[in-house]
Amino acid sequence: MRGRSQALLDINAHSRLDLTPNQPGQAPDRFWEDCSVEEIPARGSAEKIPNGVQRSSIAVPAKKARQIGSLRDFIQLLTDNQQCIRWTEPVMPEPDIRHIAVAASNDVRGGPAVLFDNIRGYPGRKLIIGVHATWANIALLLGYPKTATIKELFFEMTRRWGAKGAKPELNWIKPEDAPVNEVRIEKAINLYDLIPLTRINEFDGGFYLGKAAVVSRDPRDPEDFNKQNVGIYRLQIHAPDTFSLMTIPAHDIGRQILIAEKENRPFRISVMLGNHPAIAMFAATPLAYDESEFAYASAMMGQPITLTQSGNGLDILAGTEIVIEAELMTGERILEGPFGEFPGSYSGVRRAPVFKVTAVSHRRDPIFESIYIGKGWTEHDTLIGLSTSVPIYSVLKDQFPEIQAVNALYHHGLTGIISLKNRYGGFAKSVALRALSTPHGMMYLKNLIMVDDDVDPFDLNQVMWAISVRTRASDIMVMPNMPMVPIDPAAEVPGKGHHLIIDATSFMAPDPVGPDMKMVNRPTGEHIERLMRQIRKMQENGAQ
Amino acid sequence: MSTSTSNSCPRCRGERTETQYQGKEAGQVIWSVLHCQQCSFSWRDSEPPESISPAKRDPFFNVNPEEVKRYPIVLPPMA
Ligand SMILES: Cc1cc2nc3c(=O)[nH]c(=O)nc-3n(C[C@H](O)[C@H](O)[C@H](O)COP(=O)(O)O)c2cc1C
Ligand SMILES: [Zn+2]
Repeated sequence: MRGRSQALLDINAHSRLDLTPNQPGQAPDRFWEDCSVEEIPARGSAEKIPNGVQRSSIAVPAKKARQIGSLRDFIQLLTDNQQCIRWTEPVMPEPDIRHIAVAASNDVRGGPAVLFDNIRGYPGRKLIIGVHATWANIALLLGYPKTATIKELFFEMTRRWGAKGAKPELNWIKPEDAPVNEVRIEKAINLYDLIPLTRINEFDGGFYLGKAAVVSRDPRDPEDFNKQNVGIYRLQIHAPDTFSLMTIPAHDIGRQILIAEKENRPFRISVMLGNHPAIAMFAATPLAYDESEFAYASAMMGQPITLTQSGNGLDILAGTEIVIEAELMTGERILEGPFGEFPGSYSGVRRAPVFKVTAVSHRRDPIFESIYIGKGWTEHDTLIGLSTSVPIYSVLKDQFPEIQAVNALYHHGLTGIISLKNRYGGFAKSVALRALSTPHGMMYLKNLIMVDDDVDPFDLNQVMWAISVRTRASDIMVMPNMPMVPIDPAAEVPGKGHHLIIDATSFMAPDPVGPDMKMVNRPTGEHIERLMRQIRKMQENGAQ
Repeated sequence: MSTSTSNSCPRCRGERTETQYQGKEAGQVIWSVLHCQQCSFSWRDSEPPESISPAKRDPFFNVNPEEVKRYPIVLPPMA
């Protein structure tokens, strides 16, 4: 890796991304600098960062988190904290890996990731599963002790969300210096040889890459770094060098594929497997079309992310385990699915776009990162729970400072809980309706529970208490035939169904205008009617 | 890669299947991955019968190769 000035030279080609270093004396514009280790007060001092988290308790874990540069670094950190175990006994690809992954993450608070290195038929190959499956692991990634509460992690994320516009630190290194290029395969490509594939759920249509971050460029504007997209899209293997990609037109890559096919432009992607753990967390956050996921992940992690160029011209993480370069087979579709989706139900079979692999790069002795998704709770929920909750909080908080916290952890926000300082009768219901019109809430927030600020929305016992003692049946609203997630099995028809609001806030009087209200006396009666007739007559007679 | 007729597809019962890969240890085949050219199903011959035995599989997940057109197209090509 080279020094900063050299790295800056390399990125001049990437226009629009402001990477000018801070001038000496200039105030730091990066949020993490205001909680650097030096500044953290001694243990026992009660200084608090917003929302009650004690700074003193996070000095060491915060420093460790800032040193994560790759999946390998994170596995080391997890291992040091007893949050990753090695499974050295021989296992069958199915059903053992699925079963062990589920058993490990059934302890959603503190279960470990599992690294397999003795999979029957895949000698020497390594597979890791459950890297983001438990709150302890997410806490370590965010620089907290592994016992941090979900509420603490939520407020940490809201703080980082505020730094969204901060200058990202992106370093570029030459492809020949990138660890991902330690081994390069351009001929006789065989994904089966390299990747210990397993069937994730028993009726999946095949073997999937379920946690791959796919990089692609806008086919009309391939030079624009910010329009380069990174997203998690499931890939089904159909042959040693062929896979399908499942997405929808509304997602960035769906839009890019449609344009490429319509205008007959080549469309190349790089599939990154085994990534810096921030990428999986933030590649699945919906950003604006021209926001870079790399820049965002670096700003959110508060540390530079090192990129390089893939053989087919995309920017990729230099320290990724495996990168698959591939090209769209324009106009071709192949049967894809079913696949066990995040609501816990299978998607149907569809005809999906096809990609041909053109080259593969990988680190020596690569680690394949997999994920178990299906009937909840699964790694999918822990992985994206906080980044689902925070944007809803941020939109609402802007308009209603009364909002305290948003817990939309339940299956991408199909159920959410919002706590707020209630102002007057009906206030919570109106705020709930606003939540349903946030970008994510529109389709996803199907069941919404509103609680007072004395209830921690991340503590389900407290939430149940509020529902038990504060909800009247008349405080439950059902909104029929609303937009809904097409793959929600509770939809009336895919894409349309009912939403529910449970107002579990305590009784509040309406604004005190009602009781002492006096009606105005409007003059009426025989006298007024006589006057009306007289006025009409005067009009007809042209009275001046 | 060999095209085999003895390994019919557990999902569509089609005969056009191929062995795409064999997992080996010290030269010994531990399992084979097969792929159906008709319905795109892939399977490993070591999987539990609930996934790969037509008699044990939930018939809900069967695919009728005659009805391929009924499966929706992802990203229908634009006019
Ligand atoms: C584990 C996981 C798997 C996902 N699989 C898919 C998928 O197969 N297809 C898809 O379109 N989105 C999938 N997503 C969601 C997208 O990654 C996510 O919506 C992302 O924000 C899309 O970004 P885009 O709008 O920039 O394309 C998945 C997300 C996660 C966390
Ligand atoms: Zn078949």
